Amino acid sequence: MAVDLGAVAQELFEGVMVPLVLGGPVRPGHAIGARVALVLGDGERTGLDPDVELDVQGARLRRARRLAPIDTLAKATPAEWTLAAAFHDLLQAANPTFDAALRRSAAVRILALARDAIERVPEPANVLEALSRHTWFARVLDVARTDTTVSWWSGSRTYLGVEAPRRLRAWPELRRVNVVATPHPVLELAPLAVDRTRLTDALARLLTRTPLTEMATCTRDAPPFVWGEATLGLIATRSGRTLALRALARLPSGEVDAVLGRATRELLATRRASGAPAVTLLAERALAKAEGHVARSEVATSRPEAAFARGLGAVAAVLLLEAPGAGWAEDDRRRLLAALDPAARSTAAQEATAMLGEGA
Amino acid sequence: MLDCANPVLERIALHQTRLHTPGLGLDSKGVALGAKGLVLLPSIDRLVALLAVYTRERSLEDLMPSLAMRVVKSKLGTREITLEFAAESSDRMDRLAETARLVGGFTFTGTARHFVQYRDAGGPFGYDATELLATDAALALYHDRFSQTYDVERAIELRPLVLRLMPHVDPSTKLEPGMRIIVAEQGLGPALVHYFVRSRVDGEVGVAEWPPESAFDDAPVRRWIFRIPELPDRMRALMHGTPGITSFVPAGPGVAVEAGHRHPVELRACPIFDPAGLVLVRGRGEEPWTLPRLPPMGAVTAFARVEMRTTGAETSTATGTAQPEVVRVPLRVSPSTGPWKNVSATWIEPAQVPLLRRLAYALPHTTIVQARVAMTTRGAFVRSSAGIEAIPLGTFYVEVHPNVYVPAGYDVTPAVAPEVLARALGAPASQVLFLGTDARALAVDEAAFAPLETALLEAPPWEPLVAEAIERALEEATLDLKVTPIGLLPLRGVDPPSKVEA
Repeated sequence: MAVDLGAVAQELFEGVMVPLVLGGPVRPGHAIGARVALVLGDGERTGLDPDVELDVQGARLRRARRLAPIDTLAKATPAEWTLAAAFHDLLQAANPTFDAALRRSAAVRILALARDAIERVPEPANVLEALSRHTWFARVLDVARTDTTVSWWSGSRTYLGVEAPRRLRAWPELRRVNVVATPHPVLELAPLAVDRTRLTDALARLLTRTPLTEMATCTRDAPPFVWGEATLGLIATRSGRTLALRALARLPSGEVDAVLGRATRELLATRRASGAPAVTLLAERALAKAEGHVARSEVATSRPEAAFARGLGAVAAVLLLEAPGAGWAEDDRRRLLAALDPAARSTAAQEATAMLGEGA
Repeated sequence: MLDCANPVLERIALHQTRLHTPGLGLDSKGVALGAKGLVLLPSIDRLVALLAVYTRERSLEDLMPSLAMRVVKSKLGTREITLEFAAESSDRMDRLAETARLVGGFTFTGTARHFVQYRDAGGPFGYDATELLATDAALALYHDRFSQTYDVERAIELRPLVLRLMPHVDPSTKLEPGMRIIVAEQGLGPALVHYFVRSRVDGEVGVAEWPPESAFDDAPVRRWIFRIPELPDRMRALMHGTPGITSFVPAGPGVAVEAGHRHPVELRACPIFDPAGLVLVRGRGEEPWTLPRLPPMGAVTAFARVEMRTTGAETSTATGTAQPEVVRVPLRVSPSTGPWKNVSATWIEPAQVPLLRRLAYALPHTTIVQARVAMTTRGAFVRSSAGIEAIPLGTFYVEVHPNVYVPAGYDVTPAVAPEVLARALGAPASQVLFLGTDARALAVDEAAFAPLETALLEAPPWEPLVAEAIERALEEATLDLKVTPIGLLPLRGVDPPSKVEA
């Protein structure tokens, strides 16, 4: 049976894409599947509410302007439609209704096809595309289901992602009604019909397709941040590195150091040849801290990963400052070298120097 | 008209995007709409009925640029009428479709040759013809009851059609108020001018010429045309009943209909008459009188009969001038037994001002909003245009003239007019005068009066919360994942990528 792409797109737009940008209730509909997800963005999508589209574009622009002073953003690209459809299916696979006999396999298949669709989306070709994707998916990790437990004098009941009936909340004092609403992020949902590691993996793959979002959420608990091809490709460019630094500046400095230190250590240990953009990012971050542009976090200094990131950044920053033709004024160069000196002489810095030396 | 049952017309579904009929598209509401609309009517009287009903509520002005009426002929030889216009929007089409339905017409929409049935209750998004008739005819109409082709026989112009329509007899138009245009035959014109001048009826008059009515007449036909803004009621019978005088009621810019008749079409809604000219539509089947340009019109009084004085001196000149004798008496304020009216101010002496403060807590909201107060060294003066009775304090005052107040229950003597009193007191307009019972006036600057509600309240200090408002406007709503039904077949339509994409 032929699928009405317009109806699917409208349901996806209103149920998932609009709330992802504007906030509010996220209502995934019937599962979409990889075949439809990959053709959903072909051609001009009409029939969407123009007022809502205007609000969404305004909110996306606000999101983008946190990182770059731009005035316009194109509407959703085919890749963004596909990623949104895959995220939609990922949410639907976590639907607790699937957690029943004869239904679990359906959720597993939906999740597998969502992952297939994500795999077929290319990484962003330029920084603007990465920024555009970030405006859609910046809040994917903020999606949470509110589970409500209603208890009364003779019993209790839990409602997963739906409102508790009014009759159960009636006469609260007489019936000694107690309502507890608990939000659960997507990766902490229970019960789940699919393997939690597969769900986490699918979400991690989705984040690899929007590298700016991956950088901007690097302090998340799960999926853990690792340097991927897309993020390294983004920060290898001057403008991409600037956006990444601005995104990182909005996060707690100590936690960012710890995450970047761990990820960079793994990167240098396994793929040292690809590590140059990450080291440059740490160096520029160290320079920004020395200039006072990034808040210092003394609490996190004791964590070895954070110390490693700072030490590596300081060593790389010193190399940048001492490079011939670096373009620094002599006074500034001396002042920065003096500020970087303690970190560049630390034990972590010596370890980082040894790792870089091994690579050389 | 019924040609054959039409199997090819199908209803358009919600969110349908592909249509077969050329030139047919979907507007923002999803309604099928072509560039043009077309109403098919069985006869000319239905066309007139359509125009009559439509113009009763709306003007044809927006339709006129694209309006085309034609007599069309089907293959069977039947003649019908089409009214074609630019569709522009489904709102316009809906209005015309409803009107057409009322007069027994069918509404279609299309762009060039093929027109499909416009939407109705059975097909709220309209219809599409899945199979088109192969024809060279000028029109192909697709309806759920028939499909038919037509050739154009001739065009119908709106102005000749409207002017050939005979007005209905309607005596009530004789009683309608407002302007009258009166046409008098040449011999009656001067007498009618003098009649109007004698009766002090304002108006304008001019003379217009028409070509001779027959070859036996050697001179043009001249008639006097009067434009009377307000014809007195007593003259109506004369103007309507005198042979040689025809009275017309303006029916729109540049057109008037004979009194006692009403045109079937609302002429005001038909922008086909030149406002600089005049078309006088006559009853009884007589042809209209048309003036391409109005003749020069002059005031009726300019044509009044002129008489010269023949006796007495030319002028009588005064021999001297003098000032009139001064007669002035002092102003007094004396008690009056008349009822109190328009009591709208009170003078509260300083001793009673604390009482006003305590009374403020009991005053109704409307009184506080409407009252204005001026605090002076002589006490508080409170004014309220809606009446001051709600504040039972002080000496009540009546406003006898703007900004001039006299104590309630008193009159000024001599009993001069309030305007004279205000002029005699000679205070500027910016001062409000309160006359006391001793006839001495107190002036309070108008600017000193402030709203009582602002003067009363000692508002507590406050702190701005602007930052919170901005933060609230920019805060991001939480993303609350709702659990939705998965349906009976959750994997329906969920397919892996096609091999080409893979």
